Amino acid sequence: MLLKITLALFSIFILFQLIYIFVPLFTVKNKLNTKMIKEKEKGISILVPAYNEEKVILNCVQGILHLDYENHETIIINDGSKDNTLQLLKENLQLEPTFKRLPAVKIPHEDVREIYQSALYPKILVIDKENGGKADALNAGIEYAKKGIVITLDADSVLDPKSLTAINSTFNDDLVLAAGGMVHIGQGFRGNYSKPKTTFLTSGIIRFQIIQYLTAFYLHKLTQTKMKSLTVIAGAFGAFRKRTLFEIDGFRKTVGEDMDITLRIQRLIKMKYRKHKLVFVPNALCYTECPETYRDLFSQRIRWQKAFVDCALMYKTSFFKKLGFRLSAFFLFESLLLGTINAFTVILIPVILILNHQYYMIALGLFTATFVLSLYQSIAMLIVSKRFDLHFSNKDYRRILRFLPFEILTYRFMGLLFVIIGTVAYFINKDQWNTATRTGKNYQVFGDEEVVLKPRRISA
Amino acid sequence: MKRIFSNMTFTISFIVISTIVVRFYFSDFAEALASEPDFFPPDEVLPIASCQEWTENVRNFDVTDEEKAEQITVLMYHRIIDDEDIEEFHFDDNGNLFSTILVKSEFEKQMDLLLEHDYTTLTSLELQLFLMGQLDVPKNSIVLTFDDGFKDNYNEAYPILKEHGFTALNFMITSAISLNDRKYKANEFQYLSVSDIESSCDVFEFQSHTYNFHQRTFNQAAFMEFKPREEILEDLEKSITNLANQNRSFAYPYGAYKDESIEILEEAGFEMAFTVEYRDAVPGDSLYEIPRKEVYSDTTLDVFKEKINLKD
Repeated sequence: MLLKITLALFSIFILFQLIYIFVPLFTVKNKLNTKMIKEKEKGISILVPAYNEEKVILNCVQGILHLDYENHETIIINDGSKDNTLQLLKENLQLEPTFKRLPAVKIPHEDVREIYQSALYPKILVIDKENGGKADALNAGIEYAKKGIVITLDADSVLDPKSLTAINSTFNDDLVLAAGGMVHIGQGFRGNYSKPKTTFLTSGIIRFQIIQYLTAFYLHKLTQTKMKSLTVIAGAFGAFRKRTLFEIDGFRKTVGEDMDITLRIQRLIKMKYRKHKLVFVPNALCYTECPETYRDLFSQRIRWQKAFVDCALMYKTSFFKKLGFRLSAFFLFESLLLGTINAFTVILIPVILILNHQYYMIALGLFTATFVLSLYQSIAMLIVSKRFDLHFSNKDYRRILRFLPFEILTYRFMGLLFVIIGTVAYFINKDQWNTATRTGKNYQVFGDEEVVLKPRRISA
Repeated sequence: MKRIFSNMTFTISFIVISTIVVRFYFSDFAEALASEPDFFPPDEVLPIASCQEWTENVRNFDVTDEEKAEQITVLMYHRIIDDEDIEEFHFDDNGNLFSTILVKSEFEKQMDLLLEHDYTTLTSLELQLFLMGQLDVPKNSIVLTFDDGFKDNYNEAYPILKEHGFTALNFMITSAISLNDRKYKANEFQYLSVSDIESSCDVFEFQSHTYNFHQRTFNQAAFMEFKPREEILEDLEKSITNLANQNRSFAYPYGAYKDESIEILEEAGFEMAFTVEYRDAVPGDSLYEIPRKEVYSDTTLDVFKEKINLKD
């Protein structure tokens, strides 16, 4: 019986892996996406919630200042930071209180202390408000946003200069209600932001995340978009129609507000706007800073898993009926069953099978299949990445190919452990979740001639 | 062009490697899946020790010399299936009902006939004592035996036997016993479950038909004749464990045995064994070669009467 359950689960696992390998491989055309035509610019408001982000917020601002796009505004929401985030912004942007902005008064949020506008860059506003969490900060941002498209951007993320152009053309399609951008690991790039160069000469923990992000976005999210089953628009870089956000009353205060808002929009589509859609935009890039220590990675992944379990429980009555079959299948089978439940069995089954010595060939067989699938998925990822114009040097390709077999055996196994611990932790202590610590290291520079402001620390 | 080429290279190499992996592991998986379900665990003990105590009682028949039996017919049955449940599954390639299947209505007639003529069903111990010349039994004594332990023995035969006040020996392939009870289906090879065995413990004497040696090699040699002594012994001991150490009698699968088989049975502690030699049993017969008469699917009532030497 146990063996049959194992093999049934494993078959589903193989099925999804094959979909994730072959759908992108056969649908992504060569470099089609790099052609970006200048179109009429739609208004875009970029919202950056910031809580204790003094180490990274200026990088984020740098990215915004270098955007190759005119019709946008940026609203940084200082969510009651206890560090010098606000002072940093005030000094570097020459913030001045403004009374020109009024809220839409549609979504409640914590009190706003003051609205500032930058004297240097009038497109940048800063809202200083009482602490209320990320969702609350975003809601405040939506209230004051003036443009029709709202981008949510993490403070540790830096937008690619062409990212808004890509978002703009995506929203040319009236049926698109929301879109997720491609999030790259910042540490995987060197050189100039306007022409970043990939690098794989970095620590294992970052290499693992580079491969994981590329796979998650270029294979998984791309496939999910094709299947109309996108389960999460990454909080680091998402784009929404403002009217849609108002229609679903903004973000909800929860551990994983990004998955929550994605599912609520999916539900809205299923219930009300049958033909509308959520898409992943592979050529709208941003660079985010990933954890560099096991400790930080651990707390980030625990937070993600808690957010996931929270959403799974929150939407348990909505699956199938209100969220549709395909999305529910992806969410339940792929993410919940294979991602979470399977993590428990994957760790247990080899033990059981090996103890029951007649099954050791079965254990070995499952392992071999997993290994081959993982390896092929990573190779497919490299091929697809290349078609999206993401190249590595030959030296780096060799590094990657050497790293992969090792990574599949070690880091991915560690990822499973995080999932297990996160799930258990959710049920033990669901409310507590630590925010990540930022390193504030900046691996890329903007062209020398254009340095607008220098990140600088203010001594506390 | 380059894209199609790389897609094809990728896909073909993937298919090749997958095929190699699948071929390499296929037999292991097939074997594990086939053998995984339902072997009754060799160390599991059926809860029948107390409900089988009646089989130790020997009745005193108090018969005169004239009424004494000279010989005893031992009947052999396999499956009893309700007439309405008979379907294609139960017929062989020539369109005949498998000889091991007897329809319920015929079985009922046979039992009625035995009851009409005041037949007494003997226990294995009574038969043993008779064959050893230590017990006198009435002329119209008979021994009913069922081979293999099919589930229909409980669902179809048991109620009839109980109604008629008869007892019977049931030689079970103990590895086939199912731990969990399943719905009875006539068109499957179902075997007695633990709960069936417990419920029919008052009518059936449960005996050994091996643990899992009711098999032939690919050369058609029966395991009992072919396998090495130690393996046979090991298998028999498993069945004895399953049967709560009951090891009075044994039935040879396919009726196949050789001289060494008897030694092995003795070593395992069995006191008697049944063959398929078609004749009546008489005192002085070897206890390890007790003959039996099989009742076939096409056995008419007249033929049945001949089998049991009933003349009217």
